[in-house]
Amino acid sequence: MGMAVLAATAGFLLQGKLTSSDPEPMPIDVPVTNKGAKIILAATLPDLQGKNQSISQWIGKVLVVNFWATWCEPCRREIPEFIELQDKFRDQGLLFIGIALDQKIKVIRYSKEIGINYPVLLGGIEAMTLAKAVGNRHAVLPFTVIFDRDGKITSTHLGRIARDKLELMLKPLL
Amino acid sequence: MHLIRFFLLLLCFTSINAFAEKGKPSGLLSRLQQLGTNFAQNEQELLPPDQAFKLTIKVRNANTLVAEFEPTKNYYLYKDKIAFKPQSTGILIEKILLPQGKMKNDLTFGQTEVYYKPFQAVISLKREASATNQLTLAATYQGCNEPIGVCYAPIDKVIKLTLPVAKAAVGFVAETVSNDATAATAFINTKPDPAAELFYPSDRPFSVETESKRIDRMFKGGDFWLILTSFFGIGLLLSFTPCVFPMFPILSGIIANRGQHITKTHGFILALAYVLGMSLTYSAAGVAAGLSGAMLSAVLQNAWVLGGFALVFVTLAFSMFGFYELQLPSSLQNKLSEEAGHLQGGHLTSVFGMGALSALIVGPCVAAPLAGALLYISQTRDVILGGSALFIMALGMGVPLLLLGASAGALLPKVGPWMESVKRFFGVLLLGVAIWLISPVLSAAVHMLMWAALLIVSAIYLHAVDPLPAGASGFRKLFKGLGVIALLFGVALLAGVLSGSRDILQPLSKINISSINEEDANRVNTDEIEHLVFQRVNSLAELNKRIVRSQNKYVMLDFYADWCISCKEMERFTFTDARVKSSLKDVVLLQADVTANTLDDAALLMHFKLFGPPGILFFDRHGREIHDARVIGYQNKEDFLAILDAVLI
Repeated sequence: MGMAVLAATAGFLLQGKLTSSDPEPMPIDVPVTNKGAKIILAATLPDLQGKNQSISQWIGKVLVVNFWATWCEPCRREIPEFIELQDKFRDQGLLFIGIALDQKIKVIRYSKEIGINYPVLLGGIEAMTLAKAVGNRHAVLPFTVIFDRDGKITSTHLGRIARDKLELMLKPLL
Repeated sequence: MHLIRFFLLLLCFTSINAFAEKGKPSGLLSRLQQLGTNFAQNEQELLPPDQAFKLTIKVRNANTLVAEFEPTKNYYLYKDKIAFKPQSTGILIEKILLPQGKMKNDLTFGQTEVYYKPFQAVISLKREASATNQLTLAATYQGCNEPIGVCYAPIDKVIKLTLPVAKAAVGFVAETVSNDATAATAFINTKPDPAAELFYPSDRPFSVETESKRIDRMFKGGDFWLILTSFFGIGLLLSFTPCVFPMFPILSGIIANRGQHITKTHGFILALAYVLGMSLTYSAAGVAAGLSGAMLSAVLQNAWVLGGFALVFVTLAFSMFGFYELQLPSSLQNKLSEEAGHLQGGHLTSVFGMGALSALIVGPCVAAPLAGALLYISQTRDVILGGSALFIMALGMGVPLLLLGASAGALLPKVGPWMESVKRFFGVLLLGVAIWLISPVLSAAVHMLMWAALLIVSAIYLHAVDPLPAGASGFRKLFKGLGVIALLFGVALLAGVLSGSRDILQPLSKINISSINEEDANRVNTDEIEHLVFQRVNSLAELNKRIVRSQNKYVMLDFYADWCISCKEMERFTFTDARVKSSLKDVVLLQADVTANTLDDAALLMHFKLFGPPGILFFDRHGREIHDARVIGYQNKEDFLAILDAVLI
């Protein structure tokens, strides 16, 4: 009888260890270039309503420019975290900008589905060029660039960023 | 008692191990991956897409292309994003064959099939008369890098190829999918395209899933609990096979032996003890076998061990017949009753021990899942998962026994003279089980004789030849009827043995009652079973020599041993089928008899990562093993035929 109990307990303990959850992301930190900063801030891209938006209008806030797509699975994992952070620090001047390298209809559907609460712009070839200009040589996603209030790039990352790490980076800027 | 302590210790060890590595709650697979990538952590550089996912397209023949993808370590490609588009007039893509990939859990899309390792896609073309020999092919594919967590944009490649001259196009009905043929889902259990005659050392596009492969795959990709649940289901199903049936009489025998004091709970507890003994033994044996990679089954199935167990059962049976009473000495009983607390006496541990021992014998039916589990353990050393899965499987196998145990107490009415008959009946069953256990090491004639003796004697006890007293009860008549049947059976077996038949299911086949005329003489005796002719190979060297000599022919290697019941079943039921025989007409048939378990035999088995027979392997025309087509365990003629159809293109 005790055997069964012990076996069950062991199984329980093991389960906690073995159920697969999110693997720990390990993004690459790309060396910062400010030439690229100017290029990004000068860019104008259409939003989901079709209206052209220039990124420069948001200079003065702490900007997290995130290049993503619906077909990119790691991107989809980090966006809910961005949404949370956006809500948390909106009043302190944080703004996420999502640049989607994707089909408009898919982007609209996805952003409605998970409730993206920050501006989403549609990119294409130009967005790829933008990304490459800032150090994303092979145009991979997700790619995140963080700007401070003066419009200078503080860091760029290739790959999914963990929420805590991102918060740590943003706090000193806000 | 020591058995219990040992298992307790084992469990403690494994749970401590589990905690020692506590940290981030990440999956086992990804943690292993991280371990690998940690070395390259500082050197992480994203490769350009061409290097990350190398694609080369080769022309196989006039109508077939092979697209070879080589995702680098840590990179993977999505199966459903692979597409090929011909850009030359007159050439269309008829079919694209992609192999099975690994399942990856996607946040939004659930289980997605991806490729981590190099693989080939086979593209079948349809060329119209107007087509030239030049083909421009546009390939699209998409992939990601796992540890960094990035995805590449869809990659487009245009490749120019020169095809050999097309064969004369017969006006056949085009089964063209469309011009933009996207990757078809891999076929499961259907015939692969004849053009897909490609065999490579690793990850070939083989489409038929044999049971062992399916289980293998489940282990590598799946969730811990999903695996356990499936194994519970397997165990439950296995309980309805002849492997578990012998357990019913034993258990009932034990319970019946306890006499008047059976309560529902007690019966259940006894059954539970038995099942747990069985389960722990299975998992421990599995773990041990895996770690040592040894051929466990042979060791436990030699004549002496089997004979010993059979003797034990015979002893139990005789106690049922009332020749003596089996009980533990009273001193031990007292000690154990103190330890057991509210439980009655020491029979609990002996029942536990019985369960543990029985598990080691009933191997054959569980061959395929057992082989899969053992293989997994030995390859990945994941003792925990493999051990737990086997444990749960054995629990599943024991569920009916538990139900029997729980209800037997209630079903068995209170004491009465008829209980003796029941006890005796169980005794007979136990003797039957003893005979069954020892049958692999007996000659067929002796086997049949033993059964004949058991049946005839039982028939006599059932008053088969006693006249019915006036006003006999219905039961009495029933038993007499059964006794007569048993008598006839026994007599048939006896007569059969004496007339030369060695077939226990057709003892009277040697006796030709009908008059023989010209036609009968010419007609083949339907009872004669034509066996397939196998050539013996005794060592790995001999096998290789034979394979080399059999170029351009398929080779089938069958692992056999005298104690392998599945092998005998295959020989009897599957290999005798006319369709199977005709499929194997042009196949070189080799057999490795590992009964003696010599060094050569062990080497052969180890080379193919087998733990013991049964095992049927196939080799292609170039002498390479078709890894995915392995057959482990009994397959009926339909299933085996399906496999043959898929393998022997």
